Amino acid sequence: MKEERPLLIVEDSDEDFEVTCWALRQAGFDRPIVRCSRAEEALLRLCPVPPNQESGSMMPCLVLLDLNLPGMNGLQLLEELRSVEQPPTIPVVILSTSKNPRDLAACYRLGAAGYLCKPLSLELYTSKMLKLTQYWFDAVTLPEE
Amino acid sequence: MPENQTEATPPAITASNVDISNCDREQIHLVNAIQPHGALLVLEEPSLRIVQASANSASFLGLPTDSLLGQTIDALLGKANTEKLKTILAEHDLTNILDRLMTLPKLPHLDQWFNVFGNRTDGFLVLEFERASPSSQEQERVGLYQFRDFIQRLQRTPSLAVFLDVAIEQIRHFTGFERVMAYRFDLDGSGEVVAEAKAPDLEAYLGLHYPASDIPAPARRLFALSPLRHLPNVDYEPVPILSYAAKPLTPEVSMGINPSPSPLGGEGFRERGIGLITNGLPSHQPSQNPLPQPLPLRGGGENRKPLSPEGRGVGERGLTVQDNYSIPEPQPVDLSHSFLRSVSVMYTGYLRNMGVKSTMVLPLLKNGHLWGLISCMNHSAPLYLHYEQRVPVELLTQMLSLMMGDREDLDQYAYRTSLDIVLGKLVSLMGREEGFHQALTADQTNLLTTLDADGVALIADGKLSTLGNTPSESNISLLADWLGQQEAAVFASHRMLDDFPATRDFLDTASGVLSVRLSRAGSDRIIWFRPEMLHDVHWAGDPNKPVEISTIDNEIRLQPRTSFALWKETVHGQSRPWLDCEIDYVTRLRRAIFDVIVERAKLLARTNAELERSNQELDSFAYAASHDLKEPLRGIHNFAEFLKGEEGINLSERGLKRIETILRLSGRMDNMLESLLQYSRVGRNALDMQAQSINKIVEQVAELILQVMPEKNITIDIQPFLPAIQCDRVRVTMVFHNLIMNAIKYNDKDHKIIKIGCDPSTIPVVFFVRDNGIGIAPNHHEQIFQLFRRLHGRDDFGGGSGAGLTIVKKAIQRHGGHIWLESTLGSGSTFFFTLSSENNAESERL
Repeated sequence: MKEERPLLIVEDSDEDFEVTCWALRQAGFDRPIVRCSRAEEALLRLCPVPPNQESGSMMPCLVLLDLNLPGMNGLQLLEELRSVEQPPTIPVVILSTSKNPRDLAACYRLGAAGYLCKPLSLELYTSKMLKLTQYWFDAVTLPEE
Repeated sequence: MPENQTEATPPAITASNVDISNCDREQIHLVNAIQPHGALLVLEEPSLRIVQASANSASFLGLPTDSLLGQTIDALLGKANTEKLKTILAEHDLTNILDRLMTLPKLPHLDQWFNVFGNRTDGFLVLEFERASPSSQEQERVGLYQFRDFIQRLQRTPSLAVFLDVAIEQIRHFTGFERVMAYRFDLDGSGEVVAEAKAPDLEAYLGLHYPASDIPAPARRLFALSPLRHLPNVDYEPVPILSYAAKPLTPEVSMGINPSPSPLGGEGFRERGIGLITNGLPSHQPSQNPLPQPLPLRGGGENRKPLSPEGRGVGERGLTVQDNYSIPEPQPVDLSHSFLRSVSVMYTGYLRNMGVKSTMVLPLLKNGHLWGLISCMNHSAPLYLHYEQRVPVELLTQMLSLMMGDREDLDQYAYRTSLDIVLGKLVSLMGREEGFHQALTADQTNLLTTLDADGVALIADGKLSTLGNTPSESNISLLADWLGQQEAAVFASHRMLDDFPATRDFLDTASGVLSVRLSRAGSDRIIWFRPEMLHDVHWAGDPNKPVEISTIDNEIRLQPRTSFALWKETVHGQSRPWLDCEIDYVTRLRRAIFDVIVERAKLLARTNAELERSNQELDSFAYAASHDLKEPLRGIHNFAEFLKGEEGINLSERGLKRIETILRLSGRMDNMLESLLQYSRVGRNALDMQAQSINKIVEQVAELILQVMPEKNITIDIQPFLPAIQCDRVRVTMVFHNLIMNAIKYNDKDHKIIKIGCDPSTIPVVFFVRDNGIGIAPNHHEQIFQLFRRLHGRDDFGGGSGAGLTIVKKAIQRHGGHIWLESTLGSGSTFFFTLSSENNAESERL
């Protein structure tokens, strides 16, 4: 069986990463999860320099991106991803605490594939993660690498 | 006097130009005749050839006119005197001024002292000769000594009134005139006798007013021009000025005293002057010297006017002479500066009617403007003052003129000083107080302090304040509207009835008005009021009939008035006049207010900018803080949940309860942070103003709410046809959402009824959200809009962060609107709001 492509979570907070992982696992998600704690790191991973260079690791199949990051923030990363010569075909879903309509609008405008407001309760979070994985890994077909 | 009565009859005037202001047009300075107390020669320069001479030269100077005309001046003065004269002429400008050139102890052919005066005018030299004597020279010296004492006395006078009293008493003493008066001109040219010194038996003129036509404009001009006008004998017989003519005139031509007076000349005069040639002509005249002829005989053609019968008759009799002198180019010389100049018949007629035999008039100038006159009169007999007697009076009057400006200012000095102090206080009050109304109408020092006015109205910032006696509010606004049309920034009137007849209804308070405009638009102003002051003006004769018109021989005549009977007029609609220093004070006050306004505007702009910045900073802070706080809070919450889930079985019931508390509190805090975020968003982001259907917005909100609460019995009644307005859809949605949610939440009725509507008749439109809920006590109407302010227990009425109405209010304020409420405890509340400021209401609706 072919090795499964991982899910990339871009998240600077260890606790939040832990909570998200927990919720995903609770929801039955069993693919590998990789993490970048900075947007710059994620950019390198998604758009290797020079392009087409085989990176040592596999391309993720989906990115969960936190907006509030040190240095380059989530919105700027989206912008970078759009502006490279060959934009990656990997969908990016925003994971944020902000319900600000402007943030929502900006993310979708910059090509986000989804926007998920983190709820406070773990139960709710788990249920959202269940729906998210069902959607991306059952309902729709993701592009090949 | 009697025989002159006929001559005094004024000239005929054609019907077309009968006009009581006739005198105003009479060009009396060009009259070609002189009074008989001197002789006049007109010389060409530099030849000093005599081209014109007064007809009395034979009797006065000892040489007949015909032997002078065409000769040079040495024919009269002799060689030595002529040389002396030339030297003097070279040193004197003499333009527009009459100077004494020399005193001659004798002439070659006449043993008589003379004073010789000179004036250059129209390119000619005018020489005037007046008799003098060795004793008169001595008198001049004595007069000057007295004069010095007199100046010292004047300097000690405490007020202008006393100053004038002292001055005219002294002049009467110097001159011996029976009556000396100081006469002050009003702005309209009328005047009043303000000081009088007179012989005891004479009737007093003090306080009498004379209409403007009594001293017409050209006369006023002449008075201002020459330092002294002396008319020794009102009943004098004018002496014509004769001219050298190169070519003989035919008898026909010479016959006529040309019936048409010169266009340059005052008609009356000329005829009288000409008439005199025959009548009163001294024996040395025409028969022996048939050549001279009255001047000017040509040139008057354009302006022909019939002569009076008297004039014609006299003229015909007069010119029985064979003349070979005529006027080649009649050039009547401007005699404005001549002291011998003959005067208008209107004037002599007027004086005769007043019973005056002799006058002397000197101008009183204040800062160069004709302020009034010193008028000397003799009633019993003619009185001739020779030069040496006139000089001190002339100097004295000029000195009066110089001193008077200061003197009148001095009278107002104390008043002006105290106004200055008030101005300083008002300025400092304006600096301290919030608004002009507080600053300028305070108890201690205000707009009425010291200023002699009965009331004042201040219109500023859309508000009216009054002090003292003022017209009613509606009359003030009527007056303010009218004042708004005046161009000048400062308006002063003490006769409002004339200026603005609508004041007739409130003359008791506003007969006098002094007003300053405070804004460029003109709506802000201060108006001071003075009440009507009924006062009597004593006119010397009916001022409405300054001249009389009579018809003689089918010709309409203009006559000086004959009646000087006291005419008392009660003046209505006037107040005390405003003084210069008062007008100056309000002008300076206006400037001070402007300075304060400018300073205020600057400060306000600074404060606003600062406020805006700090508001923005606060919003950014609230946003950042709440946003950043949310993350750790979430961590706390999540890890408490982990703890509960993973270790719950190992915990005691109390331990579990504690964890529940952590979860509840962190949950509430998250709610509050979310509200804070919302609130800061309402303030931070720009409004997206679009035409929005309020019906659509409200219906969507209602649908959403009903969807999430299907279990409750709720009726949301939306008024159809709510207007479409310009607004930010997201925020207005938030407003309705929060208000309707509150209406449901704070409602203990089984059937919750919410009505949404508006009053479209108001500007701007007032919307309302009405409920049948629990109501809000009046003392909480303010508090409910405060952030996180709660009136009920945290978990009563479904809880909530306590920021809903704060967000609503902020959203409404961002639109420029207001929110308020009416409520009855137990039966419901109605929240009203607008979504536009009054100023923008025009553009609000679509």
